[in-house]
Amino acid sequence: MEVEGLNMYYGSFKALSDVSIKIAENKVTALIGPSGCGKSTFIRSLNRMHEIVPGARVEGIVTLDGEDIYTRDVDPVRVRRRVGMVFQKPNPFPTMSIYDNVIAGLKLGRRRKKSELDGVVEKTLKQAALWDEVKNKLNDSGTSLSGGQQQRLCIARTLAMEPEVILMDEPASSLDPVSTQKIEDTMDQLKEDYTVVIVTHNMQQAARISDYTGFFFIEDMGEPGRLWEFDETEKMFSNPERKETEDYVTGRFG
Amino acid sequence: MPRETFQQELDGLISDLLQLGGEVKASLENTVRAMEGRDAGAAERELGIDLRFKAQGMEIERECMILQARQAPVARDLRLLYTVQSVTNHLVRSGTLTEHICQAIAETADCERDEDLETALVEMARTARNVFDEGLDVFEDRDIERARDLQAKDDKVDLLYSEAMNLIANASDGGGGDPEWRMRAALIVHYLERISDHGVDIGGSTVFLVTGERIDDAMQQYLNRDMGEA
Repeated sequence: MEVEGLNMYYGSFKALSDVSIKIAENKVTALIGPSGCGKSTFIRSLNRMHEIVPGARVEGIVTLDGEDIYTRDVDPVRVRRRVGMVFQKPNPFPTMSIYDNVIAGLKLGRRRKKSELDGVVEKTLKQAALWDEVKNKLNDSGTSLSGGQQQRLCIARTLAMEPEVILMDEPASSLDPVSTQKIEDTMDQLKEDYTVVIVTHNMQQAARISDYTGFFFIEDMGEPGRLWEFDETEKMFSNPERKETEDYVTGRFG
Repeated sequence: MPRETFQQELDGLISDLLQLGGEVKASLENTVRAMEGRDAGAAERELGIDLRFKAQGMEIERECMILQARQAPVARDLRLLYTVQSVTNHLVRSGTLTEHICQAIAETADCERDEDLETALVEMARTARNVFDEGLDVFEDRDIERARDLQAKDDKVDLLYSEAMNLIANASDGGGGDPEWRMRAALIVHYLERISDHGVDIGGSTVFLVTGERIDDAMQQYLNRDMGEA
């Protein structure tokens, strides 16, 4: 994916200014920065998820495989199919079984054979590193799982749609360390098949799992957020170019 | 500023390192004076000090490890801990070499000496001490401009090394002093050359600390910059 000169507004408030970034294929890109600097806003612009907020609008170009996802004839639902999203709080459908949660998106599309759906459930739960824990209780409710398991269920649900890009908005911030580690291991696997963009407040998590890191920063209250520095993760955490980045990653910010 | 405790711990670590640096520097100064004044007693007083340097060095390394385990340092903090460990190593080793020199001086007190060789040794000792002191200053002041001068000064030490070795290998007629002394003089020459190298490396570590560049790359950039100005 490629973003060029992206500005983003909520009504008259400018939330992001002039963001340009190339998101590398089959890599994990982490976005870090203080609260309110526009990270979540930014990833929502990558699959037009912000459009569910009234008054939100973007300027600039966002392309997926060279195709502008904001041209008039592009269906936002189709964009969200290709660019999936996992949210901060695990949000399985509470009335559905584990099995039905995974295929919830597929059920909205064409009819599929049971054997095909079985295959998708097993494959995606394996990719999300959850299969072994739930294979004997697929008909249990999704909410019967622990928080970490629920989050991996949501990852499986996203994978079932066969997206090209997966956006994760602090996917592990409400999880215990063991679950967090499992999610991180999952991400390492996922990048073999997908492009992953993750927003995280956990700097060590960004350092551990990502190939590239973008630092978003807001100079003053009321100013729009900007992509302050973007580079290979190794560089960002050993010798960043800009002082604000260094202050932030070393925890000297604020 | 957040992370005040961590910052205090880092400041404490640097202060421990500078303490060790100051003590090694003093020991080296005493050694040079002992050589200048042919003072075996002064040299003897330095014997055993190496154990203290090693204990201090181990304590600093332990602090570094604990800070890494507890604080997950990155960027300039990470470079600082890395540099502190590297500089500690250079200091402890310089301290050990200094003690070796004192041992050689003390044990050859009664030997007959060659005057030319002794003069060369003293000059080399002063020059090596200067390089070491300056390396430490570069670290203390983060003065990387001066780091690049160190290499040139170390070249002078290398030149004196060759001169001294030449005098040891080709003793003047009827002179040259006792063979025992000449052998120990060769070792002293070697130790001094190593001490000077440690001084240069301390400066180089400082360049890495400040710029994040490996010393060789950074040096090259500095040199090219000068060529650009010329």
